[in-house]
Amino acid sequence: MKRVKRFLMLVVLIAPSSLIAQESPKQQVLPDITSINVHSLGPQRISSLPPVPVPVDNPQTSMKVQLGKQLYFDTRLSKDNTVSCQTCHSPSMGWSDAGPTSTGINGQKGTRRAPPVSNAAYNPLQFWDGRAASLEDQAEGPMQNPVEMGNTLDNVVKTLNSVPGYVEEFKQVFWTTPITIDQVIKAIAAFERIVITTDSPFDRYIGGDRKALSPLEKQGMAIFNGKGHCTSCHWGPNFSDGRFHNLGAVQTGPLNVDNGRYDVTHNPKDMSAFKTPTVRDAGLRPPYMHDGSEKTLESVVDFYNKGGGDNDSNLDPLIVPLGLSKEEVKALVAFMSVALTSSNPEVAHLKPVHTSELPK
Amino acid sequence: MKKLYILILSLIALSFLMPDTIYAIPAFARKYGFTCTMCHTAYPKLNDFGQRFRDNGYQIPGQEGSEKNVLEIPPPISLRTSTGLSIYDSKQGTTSGFNVYGLDLLAAGVLHKNISFLIVYTPRIDVPAANYTGTNPSQPGSMESANIVFSNIIQDAFNLRIGRFEPAPQVFSSHRSFYIMEPYEVYSFMTPANSFVFADNQIGVEATGHFKNGFKYGVGIVNGNGGNPDNSNYKDVYLNLIQVIGKGDGQSAGQRVGLFGYYGWQPTVLPGTVVAPTGETNGGGNKPFYRLGGDVSLNWSTLNLEMLLMQGNDDKALNTLVPSTDYRYSGGFVEVDWAALMNNRLIASVLYNWVSPPSYDNGRAIKAYSLLVRHYLGDWTAFNVVLHGEYTYREIGTTNPIKDNLFTILVDFDF
Repeated sequence: MKRVKRFLMLVVLIAPSSLIAQESPKQQVLPDITSINVHSLGPQRISSLPPVPVPVDNPQTSMKVQLGKQLYFDTRLSKDNTVSCQTCHSPSMGWSDAGPTSTGINGQKGTRRAPPVSNAAYNPLQFWDGRAASLEDQAEGPMQNPVEMGNTLDNVVKTLNSVPGYVEEFKQVFWTTPITIDQVIKAIAAFERIVITTDSPFDRYIGGDRKALSPLEKQGMAIFNGKGHCTSCHWGPNFSDGRFHNLGAVQTGPLNVDNGRYDVTHNPKDMSAFKTPTVRDAGLRPPYMHDGSEKTLESVVDFYNKGGGDNDSNLDPLIVPLGLSKEEVKALVAFMSVALTSSNPEVAHLKPVHTSELPK
Repeated sequence: MKKLYILILSLIALSFLMPDTIYAIPAFARKYGFTCTMCHTAYPKLNDFGQRFRDNGYQIPGQEGSEKNVLEIPPPISLRTSTGLSIYDSKQGTTSGFNVYGLDLLAAGVLHKNISFLIVYTPRIDVPAANYTGTNPSQPGSMESANIVFSNIIQDAFNLRIGRFEPAPQVFSSHRSFYIMEPYEVYSFMTPANSFVFADNQIGVEATGHFKNGFKYGVGIVNGNGGNPDNSNYKDVYLNLIQVIGKGDGQSAGQRVGLFGYYGWQPTVLPGTVVAPTGETNGGGNKPFYRLGGDVSLNWSTLNLEMLLMQGNDDKALNTLVPSTDYRYSGGFVEVDWAALMNNRLIASVLYNWVSPPSYDNGRAIKAYSLLVRHYLGDWTAFNVVLHGEYTYREIGTTNPIKDNLFTILVDFDF
């Protein structure tokens, strides 16, 4: 009995200090995700999107958005004038590309699937590994990536300052000259913040139109929110927790191993963990997963139905076999591919800015 | 003799009508906007995700620290009850009647990162439908669970639950069984002079852990006499070891095997010489007893086979029938559950229970065959209504067994 008492006393003494120890962030390079405003509330219901969050230091204006749109479609941001943001994030392909991974300058192949720009404004962190804390930070990345646009930020600024039309537009938006890289990324981010899809059958259903979903899609929604366990990660208005999960997927493509979030945090828990993508408009942009390894939504559901991939060395505990029947898979796919596909004409069918329309 | 016979029969019938309190916590579903099947194969039985959610202190794994606490969500209170018609048939005749089969009031939630709680109160709405475990016959109800959980003290490997809770060895939870009327008999079996009931929630401290390789453990120290004030200074201890093979948690996927042991003490001198203001006494002449067992849960598609074997041994001092020898018994159950229809809205199940006491007590041997169908009326968030049909044929005793049948059809609902 004495031993038992000693053990209990030890537990009582140790427990509070251990709990406090859990509070401190571990090896986080970027701010803890919970400190970021949009997703600080924890799991939320799937619902319509709220107004897009806008940073205080980059307010939205129509002129800035228009400027950002031009930059988004302008190949002059790349080293050899062949690649623009649109190359990998095309409106006609669900704001992604044909995949499985993207093609940059000189035909170079990237190692990951192009994440969609649509609704990216709601992501608390950008890129598959969350290495950018905002759309502004994200916009810098591809321009400098040797496999993507292959440019330098200095050269981008130099190029834009050599285009009188851009100089004039930037001056009207930011009231200063010359053009800076900070202004460039702010303009691009401002444009990306209007690429929001709000008019899906699901949104209309949530808004009160009970006929917006077919019976099959309604069943799919119930499975999405229940037996399919989809909302354990794909929760909230943007159908994403914004967090990082290892699905046990066996890496395909150019890399043998992709460390994912680990390369940012160096936390072993994050090894090969990738950000939860939004499911909104997922039907428009196959293939799926960070490496584009799943060609269809059906194969994605099959993947989850089996309990994830075969590489379970760091499998997220949220991933468990689902026991879905063929009918349930069909309903789930119907919900994702039809009910979550938006019809916002200004977003889903945005007409690219033609080269002839760009500033000269 | 005839009166005794009638009394025994009445007690048997009574036990049929005394369902265990059953947990399902729609407050969690309300918090997240999930439907029941996120955490339950079909409520109240947990699926793998639900089991991991429970193991993680009612926090979604990976979301610790960003979970809304109890003050940031709708009131974390849930209610469950069931009402319907029971028909009981035995050699003595047939009875029937409408009943309300107990009421659970549940509250659960996260207080702070890695600190959560669960409270289950069962008001005594009539006698004896509520799960009464107190010492005072006029007690208005039972605090069936009241515990606080400190999670992830050493990551997943060490979690603490303090208060009154369902001990880890109840790996097939009697509180989350599909069966409302038929208990797991071996869990509920009482030996001649031992007040310990395996199915009872206990008061004490429990440590649990789970690991990536599928290994889980539970170890606890408890009073060992349900919700009653402790009747001796000796505490009971238990250990539960589980290994899950394959993906899943053994609830709805993966294959799970486990071993459990419970070692306890029962005073033979009651009530003791000291009575504390809180009701505890220092009963003397404590004698040991133990329960040992193994369990298996096998899954294929939406079929789940559950098997449990258990052996019990009470010290001879606790054997009032044959005081010269220990009281030994064995028992177990086999259950097959099948989830069908879209989103598991139909559950069909068969259950075989048995308890084999020593030959000199074979009048209490039990064989029970049960079958069940549950139909869930909707895929709603945070509430559900179920049509429940359940039938049990039971034999008590081995020579000239008492045979009875219980058929129940009811509506089971919670929100």
